Amino acid sequence: MTPQPIHNQIPPEIAAITRPKDELMKWYFCKALATTFAFPITILLLYFRFHTMRYKFDTEGIHMGWGIIVRHEVMLNYSRIQDIHLHSNVFERWLGLARIEIQTAAGSSGSEMTLEGLPDPEGMRNFLYSRMRGAHDKHATPATDPLAGVLTEIASELRAIRQAVEQRGSQG
Amino acid sequence: MFDWLRSVILSITMVPPEPHPPEGSAASVRIFRAGRNYYRLRILGWAFGSLWSAIVLGAAGMALEMAASRRFPPWGQSLWHTIAAIGLILFLASVVWAFVQQQLNYELRWYIVTDRSLRVRHGIISTHELTTTFANIQEIRVSAGPLQKLLGLADLEIQSAGGGGGGGPHSSSSAHVARFSGLDNANEIRDYVVNCLRQYRDSGLGEADHSPSPEASSALAAAHTVLEEARGLRAALGKS
Repeated sequence: MTPQPIHNQIPPEIAAITRPKDELMKWYFCKALATTFAFPITILLLYFRFHTMRYKFDTEGIHMGWGIIVRHEVMLNYSRIQDIHLHSNVFERWLGLARIEIQTAAGSSGSEMTLEGLPDPEGMRNFLYSRMRGAHDKHATPATDPLAGVLTEIASELRAIRQAVEQRGSQG
Repeated sequence: MFDWLRSVILSITMVPPEPHPPEGSAASVRIFRAGRNYYRLRILGWAFGSLWSAIVLGAAGMALEMAASRRFPPWGQSLWHTIAAIGLILFLASVVWAFVQQQLNYELRWYIVTDRSLRVRHGIISTHELTTTFANIQEIRVSAGPLQKLLGLADLEIQSAGGGGGGGPHSSSSAHVARFSGLDNANEIRDYVVNCLRQYRDSGLGEADHSPSPEASSALAAAHTVLEEARGLRAALGKS
């Protein structure tokens, strides 16, 4: 198996994230309280959202899923991220939480993905930023361009075939 | 007094410290702040808002006081006076809080630009930090209303691709807009951002109009070598 380039590897602490923090459920409880009469329904919905929420961060992008009756699975490629918003209100900060809202070029009014209950929201924001288009120095040339490398190898093979043909021609 | 109040509010609300600049060359990091007149403008808004609320509430209070003195029984009048006193205290507290909020809102506002990206942070009770790269920018807009012009202020809006938001594509509420509010050097910042954008001529969506990148050039050179070798091979096969 070909080893992946270093810039494609996911930091282990980020790859290990699969579930939101437990504090998120406390925040959901506060949110549900704010709905007053609708509290029983809201807390039930948020409870299932919390317990079914799953994250996966791989080399391509973010996978997020939640829901039982209506299951949502969202995959967002890192290179398609347009803006990253880091939001937190005072209650969330008391609980050590923050939301990361990710925008792509899609035309929806809300964010395309909201990451909640992450252990280190600022670190995650910095990681996502590092994977965004344009976050790296545009003028820094990569050590090896894969396409150029393959083409150079093809050229070497063709050269070897030509030399073999020429050698055979001179012998014959 | 204000320093003490500020430190108490910041510690209670746990507002994060000054934001870190996004990745970019250290020499290119520039941190902009809202102009001093932006603070004055906000204070002016606070003063008018508070005055208007005081007039409305005062008129309503006087009308109720007149009605209470004529029609309410003695216990009803005492109840009304207690409610009026609590209301007055709450109103004064909200006026003071709104004043402190104007000051903090002005102070806790950062616009950070590097050679690759920008970060905008504002807010106290609810903080909001937006980060985007120049490679995603679609449009830059400077706007100023009559009052802002009078005070030498302008807003700079930097928009990335994508729709949404209640007020249309140019709405400040759109999630795709980085808004630098209350600048007294908006044109200077716009020129700086435009200068940074020149190295990202393929920024935003759409077809790039520039010469091939170094990676593409190296691939092109390798492809030419392959072509020459293929021609040489054909010539060698033709001879043999």
